[in-house]
Amino acid sequence: MSTTSPTDVAALPVAPRRPLLELVRRRPEVITFVLLVAICVAVAIANPAFLQPSSLIDIGRASVVMGLFALGVFIILAAGGIDVSFTAIAAFTMYSLTLLVKNHFPDAPMALIVLAAVIGGAGLGVVNGLLVHYLRVPSLIVTIGTQYLFRGILLAFIGTVWIMSLPPQMGAFGRMPLLQFDAADGRTITLPFYFLVLPIAALVTWWMLNRTLMGRAIFAVGGNASVAERLGYNLRTIHIFLFAYAGGLAGLAGIIHTCANRQANPFDLVGSEINVIAAVVLGGARITGGTGSVLGTLLGVLLVVVVNSVLVMVGIPSTWQRVVVGGFILLAAAFFVFSQKKT
Amino acid sequence: MSHGSVSNAPVSRDTAPRAFLELRGIHKRFGGVHALRGVGFSIVPGEAYHLLGENGCGKSTVIKIMSGAHAPDEGEIVLEGRSFRALNPIQSLAAGIETVYQDLSLLPNLTVAENVALNEQLVAHGGRLARLFDRGRLRRTAEAALEVVGLPAAPAYLSAIVSDLPLAQRQLVAIARAIATKAKMVIMDEPTTSLTRREVDNLIAVVERLRSEGVAVLFVTHKLDECYRIGGHAIVFRDGQCVGQGPLANYTKHQLTEMMTGRHIDGARYRTGAPLAEELFAAEGLALPPSLGRVSFSLRRGEILGITGLADSGRNELATAIAGVTPAAEGAIRIDGKVQRIGHPAQAIRLGIGYVPEDRLGEGLFLDKSIFENEIALVVQDLANAVGVVDRAKGRALADKISKDMRLNTGNIDLPVGALSGGNQQRVLIGRWLSILPKLLVLHGPTVGVDVGSKDTIYKVIQQLAEAGMGLVIVSDDLPELLQNCDRILVMSNGRIVAECDAARATEEQLYQAMLASRPQPSASPETLS
Repeated sequence: MSTTSPTDVAALPVAPRRPLLELVRRRPEVITFVLLVAICVAVAIANPAFLQPSSLIDIGRASVVMGLFALGVFIILAAGGIDVSFTAIAAFTMYSLTLLVKNHFPDAPMALIVLAAVIGGAGLGVVNGLLVHYLRVPSLIVTIGTQYLFRGILLAFIGTVWIMSLPPQMGAFGRMPLLQFDAADGRTITLPFYFLVLPIAALVTWWMLNRTLMGRAIFAVGGNASVAERLGYNLRTIHIFLFAYAGGLAGLAGIIHTCANRQANPFDLVGSEINVIAAVVLGGARITGGTGSVLGTLLGVLLVVVVNSVLVMVGIPSTWQRVVVGGFILLAAAFFVFSQKKT
Repeated sequence: MSHGSVSNAPVSRDTAPRAFLELRGIHKRFGGVHALRGVGFSIVPGEAYHLLGENGCGKSTVIKIMSGAHAPDEGEIVLEGRSFRALNPIQSLAAGIETVYQDLSLLPNLTVAENVALNEQLVAHGGRLARLFDRGRLRRTAEAALEVVGLPAAPAYLSAIVSDLPLAQRQLVAIARAIATKAKMVIMDEPTTSLTRREVDNLIAVVERLRSEGVAVLFVTHKLDECYRIGGHAIVFRDGQCVGQGPLANYTKHQLTEMMTGRHIDGARYRTGAPLAEELFAAEGLALPPSLGRVSFSLRRGEILGITGLADSGRNELATAIAGVTPAAEGAIRIDGKVQRIGHPAQAIRLGIGYVPEDRLGEGLFLDKSIFENEIALVVQDLANAVGVVDRAKGRALADKISKDMRLNTGNIDLPVGALSGGNQQRVLIGRWLSILPKLLVLHGPTVGVDVGSKDTIYKVIQQLAEAGMGLVIVSDDLPELLQNCDRILVMSNGRIVAECDAARATEEQLYQAMLASRPQPSASPETLS
């Protein structure tokens, strides 16, 4: 068909002028990865004990709850929103569920308890989604409100007493080993079974974001919500799904947190939101939405966990952890801005 | 619902041209405003339509009714023989009505392939999101659609992020999206506003190809010359009513303008005065590599100088260099006989050089502030007393006078500028400079996106300013605008001035040839520069 001649697009902008810069711009998590490796190498040189399986397993164990939270925060960031209520959702779900199992369903199987945590968290997430959609208020405001609300209801109506003895199946779940061996010093080192939940949740989230229309719709909304709406994306469905998904992950994180610590503390978790959001942003997701990846999010979580747990090993006081994480965030932000301007 | 593919032969339809879409007696009210008062027209496959009218005549409302964003209060929409009271966006898209909005409605963070072809999958699934995303299908759909609009379908291009593309290519990506959903009708809302002449030629070729495949195209535009180049039917709106429709060939430009405005507007030259003898301004070897090579020209008092060229010709850089926005690396300017260098916009203002940018929303106006505050923005320091309190009464009197001089269609200077039409916003921006009466005013695309009636007013104001002895430089790719208003026109190409002509005698064709003449044409010469 010769009705049109090919457009004169002589100067296509796709050829990367500087391949390295272009890579970092397209995949900012590369920086996160480099930082992570650099820290690990530095710590390993300063204190070879870091490379022992026990400290690696500690890091893995400490990443689970934060990683689940971070996946939820990431998909909301990807859609251009922000969520600070997830810790309250987790606390609410884990405490009420523990109480429910302890007092009314002592024989409930663990699988059912986990499922109930996910559904309960998702239910609270739906409240967020509906409020964000119908109030047309920025999700930061809505979730600040619901954080207080969920936590307030928990403390006022459900209880303020620490539950020190969990129902036996929950305690067993927290101790169930995936990997167990004896270290040189005679201690038994365990990678708990619940560690598996994080890679599974990450895979499911990756699949949802990259292989379903809903996943692409989430990024579309993060690019420009009003354009996405005009193109026929149903914002209501997307908002409700997003917050339900993040809520479900928070519920899951809550119950694992309880099982791992072998106690249910209603005052727990709330307050750690900024730590999680920092990890997601360090993983390359822009706070303005529409970008980021699951892999980057996991790397961001690892970076924060490593910083939080290994600085002590090199003799840096734990009070300096915040300074280091803060410095990294500013450094990463400055770098992203710089690489944007370069093009 | 037949998903007629783009390759359907139009021949079968030609014998009995049946309307694809028909609007009958559509009314729409917004609060107290009666935006549409019983409009009706029909769209036949493979035909081109031009929806003409001034800003605020109901054009955008009728587009939104066709695309399903608004429901009409009264009237009937007949789509492929079925009658609807209103459409929703997915119904409209599924039937093959695609809109290329003026803002292009692209998702800046997604890839070219996703922007072009994701919507095709969304529409195919009826808007349901709990479906698998087919990447192979995405690639195939995108490749086919990009080929139609003449963009490359290489994997690197498919995976490029849309915000990295230049504007003209984004425009084509938006059109490719319309094609990818097997559109039967494409609505284009002012598609050529930000395109250069060469890019417009390419767009027109794409439209020809769409029409040959049986797709109806509806343009919304202010540029009458382009309508005639495309041909087809005119649909003219005024005050929410359809005041005329029929083949474009039946109307002269003059008649169309009169129908749109309801008043008589002369298409002849606005320029009647003549410049004074004394030199006001001269540029001497202004250069800003790589876009601007040594450019020299001079301007007399009361003279209107036009500067044109393709988008990459250096005309934009010349304008911003004179205004100090992107200062020239070499060369100097002479104003009132004194040699000066301009390194900063504030310096240009002190020397009496005013600049009205092309992007009036991004660079010029405070949209949420009032007309009054916008108009006194440049003199607010002069209006303030020793402790910094602004003399509001004096400021208001000044703003009132400017608003009258600029013939704003509202007397209320407390109205936020964001509530005004494009033409009135532009007048506020030009009016702001009247507060300091610059010696030289550089107008960059002064009537981009402005309707015919406002253009007329702006041109009259430009002439008044020149009569008063001000020197004016108009940088524009609207050739009729330059021919009607200027004394002389400079044509730029590759960062240099390649032609100078007398605006009273030059023709559009001459200017266009000059723009292209010194360009290395890819087809003509193998050793392409760039």
